[in-house]
Amino acid sequence: MPEETPWQQALRYANRADPYPFYAELRKTPVARQPDGTYVVSTYREIVALLHDPRVSSDVRRLPARAPAPAEPGAEPITEAVIELEPNIITCDPPEHDRDRRMMTRHFYGPTDAPHQISDLEPDIRRIVAGLLDGMRGKTRIDVVDEFAYPLPVKLICKILGVPLEDEPRFHTWIETALDALDLGPEAASEEMRSRVAGARGSVKELEQFMAGLLRQYAEQPGPGMISAMVHNGGPGGRMSEGVLASNAVLLLFAGHETTVNLIAHSVLTLLRHPEALEKLRRRPDLIVPAVEELLRFESSVQFWHTRSAVEDIEIAGTTIPAGAPIFLVYGSGNRDPERFTDPDRLDLERPDNEHLGFSQGIHFCFGAPLARLEVQVAVGEFVRRVENPRLVVDPPPYRHNQIFRGPRHVLVDIDGIRD
Amino acid sequence: MRIVVDLNRCQGYAQCVYLAHEVFKLNGTESLTYDPNPDDARRLQVERAAAACPVRAIMIDRLDGAERGAAS
Repeated sequence: MPEETPWQQALRYANRADPYPFYAELRKTPVARQPDGTYVVSTYREIVALLHDPRVSSDVRRLPARAPAPAEPGAEPITEAVIELEPNIITCDPPEHDRDRRMMTRHFYGPTDAPHQISDLEPDIRRIVAGLLDGMRGKTRIDVVDEFAYPLPVKLICKILGVPLEDEPRFHTWIETALDALDLGPEAASEEMRSRVAGARGSVKELEQFMAGLLRQYAEQPGPGMISAMVHNGGPGGRMSEGVLASNAVLLLFAGHETTVNLIAHSVLTLLRHPEALEKLRRRPDLIVPAVEELLRFESSVQFWHTRSAVEDIEIAGTTIPAGAPIFLVYGSGNRDPERFTDPDRLDLERPDNEHLGFSQGIHFCFGAPLARLEVQVAVGEFVRRVENPRLVVDPPPYRHNQIFRGPRHVLVDIDGIRD
Repeated sequence: MRIVVDLNRCQGYAQCVYLAHEVFKLNGTESLTYDPNPDDARRLQVERAAAACPVRAIMIDRLDGAERGAAS
């Protein structure tokens, strides 16, 4: 068996808690061709260059037919499962991307002259966070993921979209099953992953049908939230087709909380691993704003993105990425690139000039970033202020399987109490 | 408080607009206008906006270093 590349090693589940040494190895070849023909880009400068390069497409429909070499056997089924859905704004290019994103932006943030729908949610966010922390009174051990990081974003995204919170147990299972089945590394061909992929097809289908049902319901009877607004008011660009609307609604529901859950969980984990930073934040609560930026850099919720490909030959960093080749941009590695960030493996809550890639850059810059920032600033700020003497029980904690949406499954913490 | 936006750096991500729409405005889809002397009551909003700028184009109180010290 040929030796595994640093990228393949970084993708192994055993290295999920700490892929960073493999990223460091990977950065020695900024644009590294993998045995399956994918080009993995791991250095900050090259990632940013490609994020702004019109010769790079994000359109998932370009991928399978154009791949220069067959994908690894285990990677195929899930790629198919993904493209059963119509493209959404992450997986398509201009002009469709621009038209759809503009329409979604207006319904998410409000009209262009008063885009404050998201910032108006701060009192709701504070109330939910206070309730979650109050609920920990009397406990000596908590799971930060299940009891704190998960409930906040899921409640908010349901409210924003108009998805009934009662349906959470159902869509949570579908999303989790789908996420656990995506593997782009050497373990994709394993028996275990193949059976997960088979299970995930059904879950993706059910999630799609659930969303299609909700769209139909809102088409007949308008209701609160963004989904109903998108069904009824397409704006100057016209309405989205039902398939595209369903696909984007699924994206908003899933990406609207999963990534935030991971960011809150990783933020608490990281602060508990760095007691001096935790203490600093406790003494200076206003540092929460730059602190969240540093936490976004330090443990990015989206480690890389996998639907891009080269439209034509692209010469970069001494390599030519041939037309049609898949391109993976590894944000998690770019964020630890010493050529861009001084002492990148050090957590510095006051890091100057922190132009991190935690939300990517370019036209696909995270759609929900302002919501995520608000949620995480409030949640982590209040956790630090109110939880007495938090201590990690297990380090490293168990991780979820997914390589792209990387995050701990549980973060057990012992506590002495909850302050008012 | 005083702010300056480096409009050569600005890429129109509009992150500041979502966080402090009384201070930052987007005309059309790309050109940003802003109030260079917002009320000090908006400091938290403006600091959030500056931290949220993906290209770090917003500078607060850089023109007068003493002002920041006096305010905090």
